[in-house]
Amino acid sequence: MKLLRYQLKAEKSLMVFEFISEGPKGEIPKIIEFTETNLNGFYNLAFGDKDKLTGKLNDKIISNNNDAEKILATVVSSVYAFTDKYPDAWVYATGSTSARTRWYLMGILKYLDEVKNHFHIFGELNNDWKEFEKNINYDGFVVKRKKN
Amino acid sequence: MTIKELNKRKTPIVIIDNSLEKYKDVILFPEKLAKANEVLKRIGLPKLHAKKHHR
Repeated sequence: MKLLRYQLKAEKSLMVFEFISEGPKGEIPKIIEFTETNLNGFYNLAFGDKDKLTGKLNDKIISNNNDAEKILATVVSSVYAFTDKYPDAWVYATGSTSARTRWYLMGILKYLDEVKNHFHIFGELNNDWKEFEKNINYDGFVVKRKKN
Repeated sequence: MTIKELNKRKTPIVIIDNSLEKYKDVILFPEKLAKANEVLKRIGLPKLHAKKHHR
């Protein structure tokens, strides 16, 4: 049996995570960042590739390392880690392109029942928030951990 | 802990790596952050519907 997600590393505050994607293109470092927005407690989630030579980050690159599902599962697990530490945080995410947003949405759909057990989840549609439903192309989405 | 148990955990085991401290308080994806701020400004926060508690 293989691990379904990558090992995460983070700095102490759990705002910045790193993991290494492994596949036919080799090892590709990825960075996940939770950044607080202008509103306290509302964070933006972003992630992208880290260039091994320059250290520069790129959230538009398509690395095609045949591990998209494992990457998505890893990003989802980082949201669990982050909201364990910051249980009142709202976490917003959208793709750097509409195709990538759709990829995120497909990933959420795969875990939707599980995610809904632990998070409130809303989709951004027509300048409003809607309770997240299947088969709708949202522009972005936001989650908040449910209280136990 | 077995791989099966690790896969079942919702919250992952996270290794603290001090080399990542250099990224803390640095906005690594400014375009995404600007977009999030713009969305917040435009539509605000979603409304959570609190469950009614019966006594």
